Amino acid sequence: MNGTIVVTGAARGIGRAIAEKMESTGPLTVIGVDVAPELALSESITPVQIDLTSADGPSVVREAVEASGAPLVGLVNNAGITRDSRLVNMADDDFAAVLEVNLGAAFRLSTELAPLMSDGGSVVNIASRAYLGNFGQFNYSMSKGGVVGMTRAMALSLAPHVRVNAVAPGLISSEMSMAIPEEIRGQMVESIPLDRMGTPDEIANTVWWLLTPLSSYITGEVIVVGGGRSLT
Amino acid sequence: MSGHIHWASEVRDDWPAVLAELTRAFQVSRQAAQGKESFVYVVRQDDLLGRSGSGNAIMACGLLSAARTAALEGARQGWTANVVAYDQESNRSAVEEWARRLLEAGDVNGELIRVGSGHIGKTLA
Repeated sequence: MNGTIVVTGAARGIGRAIAEKMESTGPLTVIGVDVAPELALSESITPVQIDLTSADGPSVVREAVEASGAPLVGLVNNAGITRDSRLVNMADDDFAAVLEVNLGAAFRLSTELAPLMSDGGSVVNIASRAYLGNFGQFNYSMSKGGVVGMTRAMALSLAPHVRVNAVAPGLISSEMSMAIPEEIRGQMVESIPLDRMGTPDEIANTVWWLLTPLSSYITGEVIVVGGGRSLT
Repeated sequence: MSGHIHWASEVRDDWPAVLAELTRAFQVSRQAAQGKESFVYVVRQDDLLGRSGSGNAIMACGLLSAARTAALEGARQGWTANVVAYDQESNRSAVEEWARRLLEAGDVNGELIRVGSGHIGKTLA
């Protein structure tokens, strides 16, 4: 693969693993986007520090892609947050924040960058196994279901030139999952047939596969990477 | 019949418009949940497949996922959340009838009922 790949939410966790995986596998320009000021990535990853929910967020990323001088061959919409509570108690602000970051940023960035995608390019949207339903996550679940819907619509509108798929991680060892109380996290692991949390690298491997021509006949799909949790 | 039936609005591929409609659905759902009342979202089957633009696909798939999560919460409190999807050939009264049945059933929860046959052979939502 040659060209430029954009990865959002690249400062840590799954996004960082994806950016580093892509950087290590070929002559690619990897642009890592994150709002975090400590965007300390590998030197060969181009950092763009921007809030993607801001009015100019998507256009700043577009300028970085154009400045790279290489065709845009991949986009990974990964940035995400949680603000959990039961529906009956969910505050308007918590609902809006999760929808804006997890879904609005991906929608607006995809709209901005789609015209730049080269023939044979690939978009991977990071959904979540929570799109199947997850207690206390009405906002998060809705946002990730929206990501699945957006993936299907983009797959149809960008075909046959660009493929669009989603990856739905289950419980992955990351800053986000470490925020879950230990007792609850333990119960969650007990319900996973593979008997452990996944790793960011295991998500990165799946995303990498979807970005490469190895998956050239797959578009509009959601791949759940969750250790079998959806069966129990 | 006690509960709410929320029809997904058609939206443009425009984020503020999509967010406004999702927020409206959230507020209706929260109010129902606070009153321990069941609710049903009604969406178009084509939108679950992404066939009418990103905005409509986000609405339909977002509501389906939200219903599944709400259903888990409602199961502990005696209310339900379900989704009815219809295709171009479905008549409105049949769709409304299925939504009413789901509100009254009480023992069907987190389910997607599809009125019509346009979904056959297509991806499972």
